[in-house]
Amino acid sequence: MSIKFKRMIINLALIITAFTIQNCVFPLIPFLSSSPNLLLILTFSFGFIQGQRAGMGYGVLAGLLLDLFYSGPFGFYTLFYIYVGYINGICTKYYYEEYITLPLILSVINELAYNMYIYVFRFLIRGRLNLFYYFRHLMLPEIIFTVVTTLFLYRLILYINQKLKEFESRRDTTIV
Amino acid sequence: MESKYNRYVLVILTIFCVVLIGVTSFSDGWLAPLRTGVGYVLIPIQSGVNRVGVMIYEELADYTKLKTALQENERLQKEIDRLTEENNRLSAERFELERLRELYNLDQEYMQYEKTAARVIANDSGDWFQVFRVDKGAADGISVGNNVLAGGGLVGIVTDVGAHYATVRAIIDDSSRVGSMALQSGDTCIVGGDLTLYVEGRLRITNIQKGADVKEGDRIVTSNISSKFLPGILVGYATNITLDNNQLTSSGYLIPAAQFHNLREVLIITEVKELEEEP
Repeated sequence: MSIKFKRMIINLALIITAFTIQNCVFPLIPFLSSSPNLLLILTFSFGFIQGQRAGMGYGVLAGLLLDLFYSGPFGFYTLFYIYVGYINGICTKYYYEEYITLPLILSVINELAYNMYIYVFRFLIRGRLNLFYYFRHLMLPEIIFTVVTTLFLYRLILYINQKLKEFESRRDTTIV
Repeated sequence: MESKYNRYVLVILTIFCVVLIGVTSFSDGWLAPLRTGVGYVLIPIQSGVNRVGVMIYEELADYTKLKTALQENERLQKEIDRLTEENNRLSAERFELERLRELYNLDQEYMQYEKTAARVIANDSGDWFQVFRVDKGAADGISVGNNVLAGGGLVGIVTDVGAHYATVRAIIDDSSRVGSMALQSGDTCIVGGDLTLYVEGRLRITNIQKGADVKEGDRIVTSNISSKFLPGILVGYATNITLDNNQLTSSGYLIPAAQFHNLREVLIITEVKELEEEP
């Protein structure tokens, strides 16, 4: 029980850190024309590594943070992030540790889906039809940044996950 | 079994979200306590990280600037001599101007609004929305609908407020619309943000009546008839005004008076425009 609790605290801390870096640090870096979407990487990675339920849990947390930050309709981001966690959780059966190609492909697909989601529901419905412009100037840079960041961040998440697992199994053996 | 359970959870969460989106599209006032509660935890973190980030950034910037600063110092010293002389002349003229202003009762109205300064602590990192968060909130007298200024021009409007933070939507945001007018002629127009113009640092001016006198370089200020913006705040300068295809209205572009990249501090007018018909 306490291990579960510990895992939850660590996950919550990770999300809040990512959220803070994304909103407070990236905008300060002047040469960064676009910035990676850390919350999306965290959510889909956890869904991919730990399965659907963990992914959805993460999605709820990340989505709620974003919804609380923005003053649009509440639940807009949460809805999307839950699906990110769930759908990437399906791919968990192809997961093994040294395999980086699939997470990178997933990262591209997730980013594209995320940007299209915003475009369709926040821009297209207001009659902004110039999809090509938005793709070229907004989506593409963000996708590239996110994929590059995934390369590093995914390894970090994997490392944290392994450590937690090690810790858990050690606890189990001592009890037995 | 496991996947079935997951699917149930997914369906329940989806319904929950859709209902929330539906409800909050109409009114999201009841969420304010929740947002404020989370704000109590998040704002100190954001504030702290932001301060450290700015410190590091400025430290680096200082170092690179040091070299050019020495050269510039020399050049500026000469400039100072010249300006001191000019200043003497101008201050004499200023007194004259002030006298004339009083004479003509030209009150610059928005100098009299009650203002409070706030620091920008978080930006929307994605490029889709131009929204930022400041470190002052309801406790400092800020409320939803307050106008935000920086660098002498209009920056945005407060859309959401917690005890110690406020969210501001910049006028360059794609969904922003400001009822404005040309200062010289009083002809009304609408200044709207447009994501495709954002990179060029411009906004769009639309709905200028045909025959209205809006020229290149005219000062555009917030208009009296705007429901959300206090009148007479400088928004920017008109450029490239052309007649629309429908031959009834003209439109063009606006160069904003405020600088939006690297916005650090803003002034918030703690006065909401009174609406005639309160719902």
